[in-house]
Amino acid sequence: MLTIKHFTKSYKGGKKAVNDLNLVVEKGDIYGFIGHNGAGKTTTIRAVVGVLDFEEGDIEIDGISIKKDPVACKAVTAYIPDNPDIYDHLTGIQYLNFIGDLFSVSKADRESLIKKYGDDFQITANLGDMISSYSHGMKQKLAIISALIHKPKLLVLDEPFVGLDPKAAHMLKTIMVDLCSNGSAIFFSTHVLDVAEKLCNKIAIIKAGKLMTHGKTEDVKGDNSLEDVFLELIDND
Amino acid sequence: MINIWRLTKVQLLSSFGLNKALHTRDGKERRKLLLLSISILIGVVMMAVASFGYSFMMARTFEQIGRMDLLLAIMMAVTSIIGFFTTIYKASGVLFGFKDYDLVMSLPIKTSHVVASRVLQLYVLNLFFALMVMLPAGVVYAIKVNPGALYFPFFLITFLFIPLLPIIAATIIGALISWISSRFKASRMISLILTFVVIIGVMIGSFRINGNEQVLADMSTQLADMIFKLYPLAAMYVDAVCSYEIGSLLLFIAISVLAFMLFTTVLGTRYKAIHTGLTTSHASSKYIMKPLETSSPFRALYKKELRRYISSSLYVLNTSIGMIFLLVMSISLLFISSEKLGQLIEIPQLSDYLSKLAPLFVSLFVTLSCTTSSSISLEGNNLWILKSSPVSKQNILLSKVAVNLTITMPISIISCVMLMISLRTGWIESLLLLVIPLIYACYSAMMGVIVNLKLPNLVWTSEVTVIKQSASVIVSMLIGFISLVIPLGISLILSHVNGNLILLGIGIMIMAVCSVMYRYIQTKGEQLFQAL
Repeated sequence: MLTIKHFTKSYKGGKKAVNDLNLVVEKGDIYGFIGHNGAGKTTTIRAVVGVLDFEEGDIEIDGISIKKDPVACKAVTAYIPDNPDIYDHLTGIQYLNFIGDLFSVSKADRESLIKKYGDDFQITANLGDMISSYSHGMKQKLAIISALIHKPKLLVLDEPFVGLDPKAAHMLKTIMVDLCSNGSAIFFSTHVLDVAEKLCNKIAIIKAGKLMTHGKTEDVKGDNSLEDVFLELIDND
Repeated sequence: MINIWRLTKVQLLSSFGLNKALHTRDGKERRKLLLLSISILIGVVMMAVASFGYSFMMARTFEQIGRMDLLLAIMMAVTSIIGFFTTIYKASGVLFGFKDYDLVMSLPIKTSHVVASRVLQLYVLNLFFALMVMLPAGVVYAIKVNPGALYFPFFLITFLFIPLLPIIAATIIGALISWISSRFKASRMISLILTFVVIIGVMIGSFRINGNEQVLADMSTQLADMIFKLYPLAAMYVDAVCSYEIGSLLLFIAISVLAFMLFTTVLGTRYKAIHTGLTTSHASSKYIMKPLETSSPFRALYKKELRRYISSSLYVLNTSIGMIFLLVMSISLLFISSEKLGQLIEIPQLSDYLSKLAPLFVSLFVTLSCTTSSSISLEGNNLWILKSSPVSKQNILLSKVAVNLTITMPISIISCVMLMISLRTGWIESLLLLVIPLIYACYSAMMGVIVNLKLPNLVWTSEVTVIKQSASVIVSMLIGFISLVIPLGISLILSHVNGNLILLGIGIMIMAVCSVMYRYIQTKGEQLFQAL
């Protein structure tokens, strides 16, 4: 579903934020992307979803290169950034309808899915209010619903559990599992190692822009906890 | 007091991309900013030269009647009136519309000092304009009168205080509008309507004052009386600078400084309440799912963009004031002749100019109403939504163009039809009057998008930085202005050639430029947007 080939991103001044990253996320995968602050997680994620331009390497979604046909790639991808800044001047329902329009979601699908996920995240009653009146967690929930209403083949999330209340976090985990059991794939970054260990079937650990290890969760962590493996990799050069 | 300066400095550094220019290590970015600085400098020099020429011409007349002091009095009044007008509609935005409110207000700084820093931001910006008007006038006065040594320090000291009082007066109106609006549920809309009412009211009021006095054309002592009556501080200023009266100098400074201190202290006591009222959104939390209306991606982008436009009173006021002026003037011409209107607004040959150059005249207001030059910057932190959506960049950019055309085209057409009636234009002239502004509307909207793509500012804490003080807006205005001045110059130079033919040629040329820009948006625009 997602293939990252020799992805390298340099910032102005020549410093490499990510260096020669290779990764494959298959259908049904819940792929956790772990690293310390500034390791290159968000840079990679932003390039995957077509927000960030890059020069070296390629990224393919569902077999299509993001460089060659970004619109086709984005049509099957959903992205939730770490800090979802959403249009304050719209109401929640206006925003969801706007996203529905951009992703050409049918009227019936968008109405039923907004209702379903709105109720799941207990936000339906607030959808008529301006987004400017929402709390951080409510904006996060709205961003999650907007990502789900177009039934993405690939869901990309950057620190999705930050700001969510325990019930909403549990709901999101359930939805992620459901989505993958229906053939979609999920690629997400997180600092919550316990969640990654329990939720992900595959893990990648990145340090200073380089992939340190990746593969099935049980292979990556072996007999240790994911936290032990992560700390060992990060502490040792 | 040092905190006021610290806050003001931080705000000013974010204006005009100043901080970026000072700290960027990217060579390409540096070259771009250098080029921008040079073009702004050229613009400033051009305006200063024009201002010098204007002062010099006026000085000749005042020399004849032996009242050179009137030159400084008029220029001081002009600086004050323009400072007042241009501050009314941005005062609310500067005072209350900044994203780092929580951060600033949580600092151990007095609220009155926060208010003072906001007013000082307005002051510094107005000081630049005052410099362009007052300095040339001061130099012309010095050349003609050869004053004593005291003139120079007195002129420089008073110059620093000229913008203060008009800004405070305008800010009081802005703060009052905000205070009234903050008490309503639809506070932004109320603020917008009230500001429009005040501006149109002052506009009509100033026409009336001039009309009753009917003295601007004949240069006599009545002119001085009128200026001094309208703005008593001008008399104090003239006494201080031209007659070296130390009492007037001290009084002038004292009034300005006291007004500033009083205003910041008084507003400081109500500041938090007004801000809370303005920023608190009404949340009913009673929504029940209803059938949804679907749209094409382009229409969805257009609706989103239009809602963004209407949601910001600063954005609306700044980009539609030109169209409001045009509408008011077109309606006025239906009831009073262009000759009479020319007398009222101090342009005696207005009637001649209007009948010959009406299409370019209307186009001037249209190009002043460019919403696109800040539309991409205004996406700010929301840009990820558009960038990660499966829509072509062309559609995104054209939706912004479409919103600009929605603002300019209908008012332009209505105004042109009214002008056709009042100016009694022939059918060819009528056609040109209708079409040329529409071509300029397309030109201005697309040019704004391209300039904003080249000079984006996506990191901002206050909309004012983007809408009023960004490089993109200034460059767009400069290009728009030049695009009208050149055809205007050609029309005036080739006055012996058929005016309609010249206008037709101009129209065809601008249309050709439009098609090139459209192509550019389709190709390079896509890349530039992606690189943001």
